Amino acid sequence: MHMDKHQDVIAACRFCFMCRHLDPVGNVTFQESDTPRGRALILDTIRMKNESLRNRDFIATIYRSALSGANRYHCVSHYDEVGLVLAARKDIVEAGLAPENVKALTETLSRATFTVKGKGTTLYYGDHLELYPGCKIVSGGDPGKALEVLGFGDDSQKVFDRFRSAVVASKCTTLIVAEPSAYDFLKDKFDGIEVVHCSEHLLSGKWKAKPARKAFYLESDFLKNYDGNPAAPRELLARYGYTLTLFGTNNEESYSVGEGAVVFDELNPGLCEKLCRRVYDLAGNLKTALFITPSRYVKATLTKYNPQIRVMTLEEAVAQRKEQ
Amino acid sequence: MIPPNNYLYEMVRSELSWAVGDDHVQTGDADKLGHSIDYYWVPEVWHDRGQKLPPPDFVVYPASAKEVSEILKIANTHKIPVIPWGGGSGSQGGALPIYGGIVMDMKRMNKVLNIDPASMTATAETGINTQHLEWAIEKAGFSTMHFPASIACATLGGFIANRGTGVLSTKYGKIEDMVMTLEVVTPSGEIINTLPVPRHASGPDLTQLFLGSEGTLGVVTKATIKIHPIPESRKFHAFLFKTMHEAMIAGSKIMTSRLRPCVIRLYDEPETAKLIKRVLGIDKKGAYLVFGFDGPAQIVDLELEQACAICREKDHEDLGTEMGQAWWDHRYKFFYPPYMFHLPQAFGTLDTVATFANIEKVYWAMKNVVHENFPQAAFIGHFSHWYEWGCMLYARFIIEAPPKDPHEAVALYNKIWDMAIRAAIKEGGVINEHHGVGLKLGRIMKELYGPAFKVLEDIKKTLDPNNIMNPGKMGFPSKGI
Ligand SMILES: Cc1cc2nc3c(=O)[nH]c(=O)nc-3n(C[C@H](O)[C@H](O)[C@H](O)COP(=O)(O)OP(=O)(O)OC[C@H]3O[C@@H](n4cnc5c(N)ncnc54)[C@H](O)[C@@H]3O)c2cc1C
Ligand code: SF4
Repeated sequence: MHMDKHQDVIAACRFCFMCRHLDPVGNVTFQESDTPRGRALILDTIRMKNESLRNRDFIATIYRSALSGANRYHCVSHYDEVGLVLAARKDIVEAGLAPENVKALTETLSRATFTVKGKGTTLYYGDHLELYPGCKIVSGGDPGKALEVLGFGDDSQKVFDRFRSAVVASKCTTLIVAEPSAYDFLKDKFDGIEVVHCSEHLLSGKWKAKPARKAFYLESDFLKNYDGNPAAPRELLARYGYTLTLFGTNNEESYSVGEGAVVFDELNPGLCEKLCRRVYDLAGNLKTALFITPSRYVKATLTKYNPQIRVMTLEEAVAQRKEQ
Repeated sequence: MIPPNNYLYEMVRSELSWAVGDDHVQTGDADKLGHSIDYYWVPEVWHDRGQKLPPPDFVVYPASAKEVSEILKIANTHKIPVIPWGGGSGSQGGALPIYGGIVMDMKRMNKVLNIDPASMTATAETGINTQHLEWAIEKAGFSTMHFPASIACATLGGFIANRGTGVLSTKYGKIEDMVMTLEVVTPSGEIINTLPVPRHASGPDLTQLFLGSEGTLGVVTKATIKIHPIPESRKFHAFLFKTMHEAMIAGSKIMTSRLRPCVIRLYDEPETAKLIKRVLGIDKKGAYLVFGFDGPAQIVDLELEQACAICREKDHEDLGTEMGQAWWDHRYKFFYPPYMFHLPQAFGTLDTVATFANIEKVYWAMKNVVHENFPQAAFIGHFSHWYEWGCMLYARFIIEAPPKDPHEAVALYNKIWDMAIRAAIKEGGVINEHHGVGLKLGRIMKELYGPAFKVLEDIKKTLDPNNIMNPGKMGFPSKGI
């Protein structure tokens, strides 16, 4: 089983309570099973009794995880509980036990194809080509990250191969990626092609000082907890006049409403709405507060459950100020 | 335990769902598993050895005192056990559903209801995670000053139920010193409030009755606690003494001279050699003593200097502020894997409190009894929470390779507890200072209290005639198996 490679994590997390306060799902369902300890206990039970893998409640719990990196980041020993859950999802899929909604989603995701348009030596993967003059754009669906987190490794690889073919055919040697989940997925996947986050690229451009504007910066789970917490997004926003305020009560929790699970809202809409509500509740006055997130997933999800909230993606925040 | 194929199961489930909503009554295997194991070593080893753990019949998540009341009324009607559950981080098996029944998980009741800067108090629902509570209070510019190692795991209600404590207890008190007033739902479902202030002469203090009652006398649903300004300065200093005894003399003199450290901690020689080396990287022989002061900067400097002067009276090595600060910075690290003891090891915290006159006798009595009777067990300890009159001994026994058979392993574990605790009680020790009694130590309660235990038993019988509240815990009667 794939889980077997993560025995150390099972052994560490199954009786440990030390990061439960950061589990986004546990913080809204309050269920013991929705914490790293709860999931490790389930997977330990499966380790001891393989037939427990068939337990529908266990499977549902494993697919309910928001795969947040906040817990691993907090853990002094950085045990990779998310890695364990991803391995368990692979085991579930390979045993033919994936839930129906997961299978249906997989079919859609597997159909992704990619096209390249425009002229330039640099390739951009995102929604705001106007910010990247002289760049080509590659578009299509998710490049394989979503399938990977759902436990469909082979399908993920197939989609990625199509993405790679498109990138290689573009003859570009730099790929700028906007969505943090895609950036996290792609940054180590290519040989001979440099993958950069859009904020790094935009930071190298020219800018004009802008009047100050206050905003809450909603950290990306991927950028903060998986990708070394680059300073570029915050520096970029500061350059464009945004004064960023800490959101919520602390800087450890992930308020990225399931971003780590990439298709969390598609899979668990009721739960995702609860994650959003936690953000709305902490925000105070939604009508006056401005949120900036590096992730269009986060923006789309937060606005879906309460259209009153004012959220911009990082690129939109920059684009808006460039126009002023 | 109601068999799920008995239609009574569905009757009770319907009633509970009516009270709290379908989504808040869980009967799935995943959540039942999570609620079958707390931080007590026995269920951990039981699980590890593939044994079946007693699961709850239902896990119910109330959102208000009224819903708690409804649940208790249902439980009384059907005479089903109700086990309040906070974070499940209790080490005494207090939250385990040993007879099945309803686990009442309190975490949905997690709101900070009021912060009163004039009186420096805050009111919160008791299911709130204590780290979340601290963050909310800090955002308002204050602190609870309640910093237990399980701040991120446990709930306010759990601490109240167990008379828990945080690192800064020496200055800011244990939870029973922090609480102003409580809202409690009694076993019959009545919602009551204790008097609004803790200092009064209007009869015995009901707040204190519920503090430490471990869910056996009712469910605590709301608490008002003291909050504090963020101190201008907080400083630490560490010393190494040749022996634990010399360090104890210094530590007790700091306390009896009525200096007001926020924390003192003294590690015996084996724990200094093992844990202080492993976690802080201080590789030295002797007993490590650390203390800290906080408050206005000038006062902190003055008190710290006086405490250091007391330590310098004895043969010592001055480890300075840096090695004291390192301890504070890493104070929670001791509790994360792999630093914390873990299976396959067997380990138990022989938490005992006594006066300065008795505390070293308690230490040696426990250590000798463990060494003499259980040569396979190591014994280490530190003195954790210090008061004007004495301190707490956080002693631990550790067995590297306990028996494989779970019954044998638990029997050995219990025997060590039985002998060590009785040795401690003989020397004036009280079991225990902040972990509570739970399932683990219930059998000792009559011995510890003597005839006074009948008073507690009578209170229990009066408040909970059907014995629905957490039966079999704290030395109160079980439901029978
Ligand atoms: C890593 C670690 C470190 C720890 N460090 C400390 C420490 O520094 N200081 C300390 O004091 N303890 C410590 N503990 C022990 C534990 O955190 C405390 O005993 C805490 O009080 C338990 O709270 P909980 O919310 O997890 O309660 P649970 O374990 O869920 O329950 C404990 C008891 O309280 C009852 N209960 C819970 N909520 C309520 C309520 N609202 N009303 C009535 N009864 C209720 C339960 O029925 C049970 O009897 C530590 C534990 C761990 C895992
Ligand atoms: S990730 Fe670390 S802190 Fe969290 S449960 Fe696992 S071991 Fe404990």
